[in-house]
Amino acid sequence: MDALFLEFFQNTGFYLCDYRNIIMIIVGMIFIYLGIAKDYEPLLLVPIGFGMLVGNIPIFKGLGLGIYENNSVLHYLYFGVTQGIYPPLIFLGIGAMTDFSTLLARPVLMLLGAAAQAGIFITFLGALALGFLPKEAAAIGIIGGADGPTAIFLTAKLAPHLIGPIAVAAYSYMALVPVIQPPIMKLLTTRKERLIHMEEPRQVTKREKMIFPVIVFLLCCFLAPAALPLLGMLCFGNLLKEAVVTERLAVTARTALIDIATILLGITVGASTQGDVFLTHSSVKIFILGALSFGIATASGLLFAKFMNLFLKKKINPLLGAAGVSAVPDSARVVHIVGQREDPTNFLLMHAMAPNVSGVIGSAIAAGVLWSLML
Amino acid sequence: MNGVDAASVLYGLEAINANNGWAISVVGITIVFTGLVALSVLISQIHKLVALYDNPGKIKKLFVSRSESVARAGTPKAHLDLTEAQKQVCRQYNLLAQTMDDVISLPKLLRMAELSGLNDPHANMNLLIKSGILCADEQGYFRWDEDIFIRTIS
Repeated sequence: MDALFLEFFQNTGFYLCDYRNIIMIIVGMIFIYLGIAKDYEPLLLVPIGFGMLVGNIPIFKGLGLGIYENNSVLHYLYFGVTQGIYPPLIFLGIGAMTDFSTLLARPVLMLLGAAAQAGIFITFLGALALGFLPKEAAAIGIIGGADGPTAIFLTAKLAPHLIGPIAVAAYSYMALVPVIQPPIMKLLTTRKERLIHMEEPRQVTKREKMIFPVIVFLLCCFLAPAALPLLGMLCFGNLLKEAVVTERLAVTARTALIDIATILLGITVGASTQGDVFLTHSSVKIFILGALSFGIATASGLLFAKFMNLFLKKKINPLLGAAGVSAVPDSARVVHIVGQREDPTNFLLMHAMAPNVSGVIGSAIAAGVLWSLML
Repeated sequence: MNGVDAASVLYGLEAINANNGWAISVVGITIVFTGLVALSVLISQIHKLVALYDNPGKIKKLFVSRSESVARAGTPKAHLDLTEAQKQVCRQYNLLAQTMDDVISLPKLLRMAELSGLNDPHANMNLLIKSGILCADEQGYFRWDEDIFIRTIS
C-alpha cells in the first residue's frame, strides 16, 4: 500500500514540480491580476494568464495531457496557432468592427502608421546582432508592430519554436501601452506641440467606405502577396460591415467568431509557455528586444509626425505618431489621454484612430514582406 | 539559434552583414512605406471618383473643348445671394440631407422636412435647387453639392 501511495505521489504535480513551473505560474497570476484588476487588455491577458497556469501544471509525460504531446487535446487546439489559423480569424473580426472613416477623411495620417513600422526592421537588426537566425530575428522584429495576431502568424511561419515567448512579449507590451508610451511621447514632443488641435475631419460617404477595403486588399496584396491571409480577412471583414446587406455575417465575425478565436489563441499560447521550454536565455533576449521594438516604433511615429509638420500648412499634433503602432485602440486612447492632460478641450481620439488602423495594415504588410524575404 | 552550433553563431555587425540584414531592412521598410503612400494617395481620390460616378455630367465636362473651357473660366459662376434666414434654412436641410443616402429623393426630403416641422418646404426646396445646392443627377434623383453649399452659406 505504501508503494501505491508513493507511486501516486510521484505522479502528482507537487513531486514533479520544477522551479521554472512556479515562476511561470506566478507570471500567469500576474497576467490575470493585470487583466482583471488593472483592466490591461483583459480579453487577452486573462486567457493567456490562465493558459500559463494550465501549461505549467507539472504532468507525467506520456499521459497525453501536455500541449507538446501529439495526442493531447491542447495539442489539437494549439494546431490553430502553429498553422496560423486563429490570427486571420481574429483579423476578420477586427475588420468587421473597425471604422476606417477617419483614415478616409485624412489619408495623409496613414504615413504615421508606416513610419511606426520602422521599429520592426530596426529590431530585426538588433535580433540579428544578438545572434538570432534571420527567420527568428524577423519573427522577433514583428513584435514592434504591436499586433499580437500578426506576431503569432509570422512566428508560426518562420520560427514556430519561439511562438510562446514572442506571443507573450507581444501581448504583454500591448497591455502595457499606457505605461510604455507616455514617457516617450513626453520626451520627444514639446508642450506647444502637444497642444495642437486637429481640424474636424470631412464627412465620409458610405460608398467610399465600401470601396476602401477592396482597394486596400487589391493594392496591398499585389504589392506583398504574403500578407494575403491577414489583409484578406481584415478587408473582407470590413466589407461585410460596410456592405450593410451582410450585417448578419459582420455581427458574427465581430462577436462570436473573434471571441472564440481569441479564447482558443489565448489559452493555447499561454499553455505553450511551459517553464522548461519558455524560461531560456532566448526568451529573456526576446523580451528585451520586444520592449526596445515598442519604444522604437513609438519614437519613429512621433518623429515622423514632427517631420511632416515641416511641410504641412495645417500642423498635425505629433502625439498622433505614437498611435502608428497598431495596438488598436489602446495606443489611440493613450494619445487622447496624453493630449487631454495638456488641454482638456483637445479631443484626439478620433484623429488617432487613423494612424492606429493604418498601423494594422502596415504591420500586416511588414509581416508579408518579411515572410517573403525569408523564403 | 535553434539547432545551430553555439561556436558558429555570429554576433553584432558581423551577424548583420553576414545575414544581409541591412539590405533586408531597407527593402522591407521601403516596401511598407511605398505601399502605404500609394494607398494614401489612392484613397484620397476615392471621394472624387465617387462624386464623378454620382454626377456623370462632370465627366462630360472633362471632354469639352479647351477653348470652351477657357471661355467659361473667364465667366464667374452665378450664385444666389441669400439672406441670413435663407442660409439658416439651407443649414437645416443640410442636416436632413446628411441622414439620407448620397442620392436624394425629393419626395423623401419633402416628407422629412414636413415631419421635422420646417416652414414652407416646397418653396425652400425650390430655393435649394435654384441655388445649385441640390443638383439633379439626370436619373430622377438629386445630390447635395457640398462645395456650393459651403460657398453659399459662407
